[in-house]
Amino acid sequence: MTILLKTRDLTRCLLTYEAMAGKSSEPMEFATFRIYEKLRRSIGAFAGVAAFESLAFRALTQAKSEAPDLWAVQVAADGSLRALGEFKPESDIDKNKAGDDQVGEGGVTLIARLLGLLLVFLGETLTLRLLQDAWPDAAFDDGNSGNRRKA
Amino acid sequence: MSTEDKVAIHKLATGVPGLDEIVGGGLPEFSFNIIAGAPGSGKTTLAHQFVFANATPERPAIYFTVLGESAIKMLRYQQQYTFFDPAKLPGAIRFINLSQVVLEKDLGAVLGEITKEVEKANPAVVVVDSFRTMVRKPQSEMELQTFIQRLALFLASWQATTFLIGEYAEEELRDNPIFTVADGLFWLRQTAERNSIVRKLQIIKLRGQDSVPGLHTFRITDAGVQAFSRTFGLIGHLKDPPSHRRLSFGIPELDTMLDGGVREGDSVLVAGSSGTGKSVLATQFIAEGIRQREPGIVAVFEERPQAYAERAASLGLDLDAPQKAGKLAILYLRPLDLSVDETMHSILDAVQKIGAKRLVIDSLAGFEMALSPGFRADFRESLYRMIFALTGIGVTILSTVEVDESFTEFPFSTYSISFLTDDIIRLRYVSIDGQLRKIMVVIKMRGGNHAKDIREYEITSKGVVLLGKRLTDYQGLISGIPVHSGRSSQNEEPSNGPEIKRET
Repeated sequence: MTILLKTRDLTRCLLTYEAMAGKSSEPMEFATFRIYEKLRRSIGAFAGVAAFESLAFRALTQAKSEAPDLWAVQVAADGSLRALGEFKPESDIDKNKAGDDQVGEGGVTLIARLLGLLLVFLGETLTLRLLQDAWPDAAFDDGNSGNRRKA
Repeated sequence: MSTEDKVAIHKLATGVPGLDEIVGGGLPEFSFNIIAGAPGSGKTTLAHQFVFANATPERPAIYFTVLGESAIKMLRYQQQYTFFDPAKLPGAIRFINLSQVVLEKDLGAVLGEITKEVEKANPAVVVVDSFRTMVRKPQSEMELQTFIQRLALFLASWQATTFLIGEYAEEELRDNPIFTVADGLFWLRQTAERNSIVRKLQIIKLRGQDSVPGLHTFRITDAGVQAFSRTFGLIGHLKDPPSHRRLSFGIPELDTMLDGGVREGDSVLVAGSSGTGKSVLATQFIAEGIRQREPGIVAVFEERPQAYAERAASLGLDLDAPQKAGKLAILYLRPLDLSVDETMHSILDAVQKIGAKRLVIDSLAGFEMALSPGFRADFRESLYRMIFALTGIGVTILSTVEVDESFTEFPFSTYSISFLTDDIIRLRYVSIDGQLRKIMVVIKMRGGNHAKDIREYEITSKGVVLLGKRLTDYQGLISGIPVHSGRSSQNEEPSNGPEIKRET
C-alpha cells in the first residue's frame, strides 16, 4: 500500500472517530481541528514543539498545493494553526470557529500530509503506535492484511 | 559485616553484548550514570540498548530529549538496529521532549518537569539526552551543583536507574560536579588512526562493582554497540589444571622429538621463512586432532577457507567433512580495522560452539596485518592476553610465524613473542651439497625433554615428512651454510633427548 493510500485511510479513520466523539451537528472542520490539536500535543510532547512546528509547516506547504482554501493558514511557533491576521487561543480551538473558513476541506488534506510525513520518517509501525497513544480507543487498520488491530 | 547483612545490589542487563562482563555482571540497579563521549561515539545507541533491554509496561523507561537530535530523527535511525522493538513504544518507552522548558525556564523548572513525568510514569529507567545541553545555559556553580544533586537524589529515591548522556571533554573530569555525583561513568572514545577508526570504551568509575579496568574495544554494527572485554569473557572461568596429555602432530618422528607430542594446553610457535612448510605442519596438526576426535579451529588471514581446505586436500587431508560435521571451523578473519579482542571473540565463539581442543593461527603476520594500525602497537600485549586466555581453558594453540631467513642469525620470531610460547619449532632452509634443503629443530619445550636433533625434512604429497636421522655430517647447520664435517650420520644416536627410532 502506498503512503498516500495509508494516510488517506488513517485520516479517514481519525475523522470517523473524532466525528463520533463530537456532536452530530458539528461541522467536519471541528473534528479536523481536534485531530490536529491532538497530534500537536502528542508529537510536541514526544519530539518537541519545534519538531512539530517544522513538520506542520512542511505538511501545510504540501497541502496548500492541493487545497487552495488553506492559502491564508499559517503555522504558529507553537505549532498551532492560525489564519492570517488573526490570533486564536489554542485552548479554544475546537470551540472558536475562527479560522474554520480558511481551513475547510483543506484541513483533511493537511492532516493527511502530516500523517504522511510521520510515515516517511518513523515508518508505519511507530506512527500507528503514536496514534494509538493519542487515540487509545481507536482501532487502526494496518493496511496490509485487512486485519483491524490496536496498534 | 557478613554477606547476609549486606544489601544486595541487583544487577541489570545492559543489553550490550560483552558489556555486562566489563561492568562486573550487570549495571547496578538505581545507579546514576553518565555516558560521555564525542559526537558519533555511540552514546545514544548504548543508552537505547539499555532502555530496550530493561523497559516494561509496568516499569517503563522515560527518555528525555533536550536540544539537539529530535526524537523523530533519533527513532528513524535507531529503529534500524536489531535490538529496536517498536512494540515497546510508547507504552514501555516514552520519549519526552524538554526543549521548551530548558529554553524558556531555569533549572528549577526543568527539575520540576522531570519530577512531574517521573512521578506520573514511575519509570525503572530514565535517560536524559543530552544532559549537556540541558545545563549549558549560564548559571552559578552552586545552582548547577544543587540541580545535579537534587536530580540524582530524586531519581534514586524513585528507584530509577539513570543515564545522563553528554558530550564531555576529558579535561572536564576533574572539575565538573556531575562526575562526582555519578555512580557510574562510561567514556566512549572514537579515534582515527591513519585510515582506520578505533572505538574504545572505558568504565572510569562504577560504584559497588568490580568492573574490568582498561580500554575495551567496541564496534557499532546493525545490532548496536558490541563491546569486547579485555578479559575475553573468561572472568570467573577456572583455569583448567595442567594436563599431562600429549597431542600428536600425526608425524611420529616429530612427536618423538617433542617427547611424545605437544602438551595439551600449550602454545606452540612454528617459525620459518616462506615455503618452509609452516602451514602444512599446522594443517597436519589440526587434521590429526580431527582424527583423534579433538575438534579444531583454524584462523586464517592470508587465504580463504576454501583455498585452505583445497590445499589440505592436496596433502590427502580432508577438512571438508569435519567442517560439515561441526568438528572443524575455518575462520577467515580479515575485515578492515580488526581488533585482537574482536578476533578473540570470534575464535572463542567458535571454540565454545564446537568444543575445540586445538587452534591454529595461520599466521601471526597475517593476523597483525588484519588489525587496525592502532591495534598493531599493542599486538604483543594483546597476543599475550589471547594466548593466556585460550590456553587457560585447555585449548592447544599452534601459531605460525614467518621469519626472515638469515644466513648469519637464527631468529625465532620477528615479533619477539617467543616468551608467549611454551614450545618453539623452527623450520629453515639450509644449503647442502648444492641443494636448498630444509631442516627442523625443536628450540624450546616448556616442561618437556625435547630432542636436540636437527632433522632434515621434505614436503611431499603426504605433508611434512622427516628424513631419517639427525644430520651429523655437517657443522653450522643453523647458520644455513653448514660445513661438511665428514662424520657419517648412519650410526649416530639421537643426542640428549628422547629416543628417536631409526629409520632404515
